[in-house]
Amino acid sequence: MYKYRGSKDSGSKSWVLQRITGLALVVFMIGHYILMHYQPESGHTYGAVLARMQFSWYRIIDLTFITLAMYHGLNGIWNIFRDYKLKSWAKYSVISLLIILGLAFTIWGYNIIFSIPYLNSVAGN
Amino acid sequence: MEIKSKSETTYHKIRTFDQRNWISENLSYKKDSGSWAWILHRVTGIALIGYLFLHIYSLSPLTEGEVAFNNKMQTFTSPPFMILEWFLFAFVLFHSLNGIRIVIVDWANGAKYHKQLYKLSWVIGLILFLGMGALMFAHELKSVF
Repeated sequence: MYKYRGSKDSGSKSWVLQRITGLALVVFMIGHYILMHYQPESGHTYGAVLARMQFSWYRIIDLTFITLAMYHGLNGIWNIFRDYKLKSWAKYSVISLLIILGLAFTIWGYNIIFSIPYLNSVAGN
Repeated sequence: MEIKSKSETTYHKIRTFDQRNWISENLSYKKDSGSWAWILHRVTGIALIGYLFLHIYSLSPLTEGEVAFNNKMQTFTSPPFMILEWFLFAFVLFHSLNGIRIVIVDWANGAKYHKQLYKLSWVIGLILFLGMGALMFAHELKSVF
């Protein structure tokens, strides 16, 4: 009987995820660009950002955007390294570095979003 | 006088991969649209993840309040930064459109027409790039014309 004896992780899950997150990021990116450039002020003044961040759904979208982009980007970098036959120590160094960098910057991004205050008098959240 | 058979002469013309000069060997490969798409997808991808780090860093003054953030944004809305932003959009465009092309190739039988898709993504990309330029530099364009 056939028994699969290859590596447990063939990378097929990451392959599918890379495509799904990629397509999702295209949708997010269209929204991001319309919002940031349709009116120059909308993305570039504190007041505009503060007003937008009063809506919790908007924060959720931003948190998802950071997470997806970070996963897609760092998984992409890891895919480049996987094209080369790395020594075991190099493999683990690279992946540790990518995970640490990814977590650090994702948490930093989350912190920035959470640091923006909710104004008391505004309804909608 | 020695007469060489045809097969003998062609045999000596076969080039094997020169390991020592692997960079120039790779560069000398004939590249079709697929190879270029692969190279550019990597280059733009690396640039974009680099920019994402930079983007989080550049938005960090949001934690310091209104004055700090608006001061920082003033530098980013200056013309040199806007031109950089415009070219960043070119990178985003290529990576997005080529990414869609990859998904079509993988999941929708696009392997049969991937070269046409590559050309199409350049056409769409250039139109959107120029459109974005017109939108971003509308004020400057008005003062010129």
